Amino acid sequence: MVPILPLRLASASHLPLAGEDQKTRQTPDCSAASQYRWCNDRHSLTARSMVRVRLNLPSSEGRVARWLVAFMTLGFVALAAAAIAIGWITVRNRIYTAEILHTQDVRQAVATLHSQMEQSETARRGYLLTGMPLFSAAYARSAGNLAPSIATLRRLTSDNPDQIARLDLIEPRFVRLRALRAQSMALVAGGRIAEAQRRFAVDASVPLMRGIRYRLQAMAADEVRLLAIRSARQQQTSALFLSVAGLAAALLLVVAILAILVIRRYTTDLATSRDSLRDLNETLEEQVTERTADLSRANEEIQRFAYIVSHDLRSPLVNVMGFTAELSTAAGPLAELVDRAEAEAPHILTEDARLAAREDLPEAIGFIRTSTQKMDRLINAILKLSREGRRTIAPEPVDPAQLVDTIIGSIQHVIDDRGAVVRVERPIPAVVTDRLALEQILSNLIENATKYLKPGRPGEIVVTGHKERNRVILSVIDNGRGIDPRDHQRVFDLFRRSGAQDQPGEGIGLAHVRALAYRLGGTIDVQSTLGDGATFRLNLPTELSIQDIKA
Amino acid sequence: MNQHQTVGIVMIEDDEGHARLIEKNIRRAGILNDIKHFTDGTTALDFLFNAVDGPAKSGPAMILLDLNLPDMSGTDILARIKAEGSPLKRTPVVVLTTTDDKVEIERCYDLGCNVYITKPVNYESFAQAIRQLGLFLSVIQVPEAE
Repeated sequence: MVPILPLRLASASHLPLAGEDQKTRQTPDCSAASQYRWCNDRHSLTARSMVRVRLNLPSSEGRVARWLVAFMTLGFVALAAAAIAIGWITVRNRIYTAEILHTQDVRQAVATLHSQMEQSETARRGYLLTGMPLFSAAYARSAGNLAPSIATLRRLTSDNPDQIARLDLIEPRFVRLRALRAQSMALVAGGRIAEAQRRFAVDASVPLMRGIRYRLQAMAADEVRLLAIRSARQQQTSALFLSVAGLAAALLLVVAILAILVIRRYTTDLATSRDSLRDLNETLEEQVTERTADLSRANEEIQRFAYIVSHDLRSPLVNVMGFTAELSTAAGPLAELVDRAEAEAPHILTEDARLAAREDLPEAIGFIRTSTQKMDRLINAILKLSREGRRTIAPEPVDPAQLVDTIIGSIQHVIDDRGAVVRVERPIPAVVTDRLALEQILSNLIENATKYLKPGRPGEIVVTGHKERNRVILSVIDNGRGIDPRDHQRVFDLFRRSGAQDQPGEGIGLAHVRALAYRLGGTIDVQSTLGDGATFRLNLPTELSIQDIKA
Repeated sequence: MNQHQTVGIVMIEDDEGHARLIEKNIRRAGILNDIKHFTDGTTALDFLFNAVDGPAKSGPAMILLDLNLPDMSGTDILARIKAEGSPLKRTPVVVLTTTDDKVEIERCYDLGCNVYITKPVNYESFAQAIRQLGLFLSVIQVPEAE
């Protein structure tokens, strides 16, 4: 069990806390780092929920949009079709109405002509019988209108060949009748009534009149027939108009209903997703708290694990060390015996026995000793880290410059021995944080800076600080041997060191520093090129709040 | 019971190696008192309180106690020994364990432990501590069990 120890511990520190950045995890209860992580988690959480909600929407959104467009198009097409149909029907209707009116006009004209014809004939006959000038005047009134009436009728029926043909038959008869009438009217006016009556009895007036009458009646009948046809046609159009309008209305109604249904469903979907989003938002805090608790638990677990393991490892180590010492003690008399045997009775001493007592045993014991001592130091380092993770952080106002002065004072002799100079570049902004932790960080960094000097170059270490929004960046800048950029992350790992292993140390200091930095809600990084000094930058919140620690 | 009766040492230690090292160093310190070794809490408690030749029934004793036992915590045993009305209330208890946790040490003293010794991995200091314990044993007056 003992030999695999450090390995297991090393992996234990990387153990369970998932994901990209175990370095932040490695520190027990490192509040800020965890805070940062949880922050990320929160983002990812939101993003994930957004995705989930969005997953919901696009299908329905797209479908709804497509349906809506389809319905709209359908509705517009239906409307346009209805409008065209109605327009067409209206035009047709107007034409039919005009035709009907025209027919009425024609009928009217036919009737007028007919009545004028009859009136003038009646007036003529009355004049023939009585010779009274009353009839002559009446005749003149109605007969004068005849020619214009015929002309009107001809104009009105110019589109109807049948009627024109009839008029063509009426007109020559009218001309002949008019001549006969004029003749008889003139005879009566001249007092030759008897002659006029006799001529009337034999001339063609009566058949002419009958022919005209017959044809006018035919014209009227024809117009009645046309009127019937056209009325029927107009009624048809009206009916068509009604049905088209009804159809369009029905179509519009259907489209409207469908659109409303789609919109309502879409709205419901929207409301549902909005509700789920709100629920998610409401539970977000809870989820974050839950995860935080999980992480804290995991952290504590690791702490306990490290603590127990390091303790339990000590127990066997006590035995190994103890019995090694016993072995060493026991080897003493044996070596003496060998010495005496060599001096007094060399023949009983074998080469193997001499080697075993003088070389093999001390060598083996020596190796066991150094290894167990190293293991003890490693175990102590883990213990220290785990204990540090359990320490309560108490934020208070700290002046880093003053703190650095104190540190320099306490290790002045070491600094002098190493031939280095440490100086503080004031002003350094004040910060509210845990004094002890910050002191440990800075003293580790300064101690390191004076430790790893470049041979032949006197150490010069500068501590500076500046504020960046709500963070304070403290830098420890040295002109020492520098760190290979490949090792910039590695130096912060437990038991890992960089460069020539010419200085004592277990690779604990910077791991400790990083753990502390995380606990203070900060980060630490290094900028360096090999052989050219290094700058360690500690980034801390200006004000460490209790919440950050608790989290 | 008279004052000349020898003080028995009761060692409650689950690790045989530790027990052996402790015993060796006690002997090296010139302490020849009888040492009774128990590797678990249950039998140790049974002996302490119930055995005919146990400290509760006969003779004074001193107890060496390890805190990490397989069946119970050493602090439980400590609490039992030092409990109000316990016949072993005045029996000196030396806690010998690997834990150097401050809280744990304080707890032991609160419970009434007389001496707390951390088993150091460094053997020399371990041996030193045990020998000093021997010295301590030779000067203390171990009270009789009530």
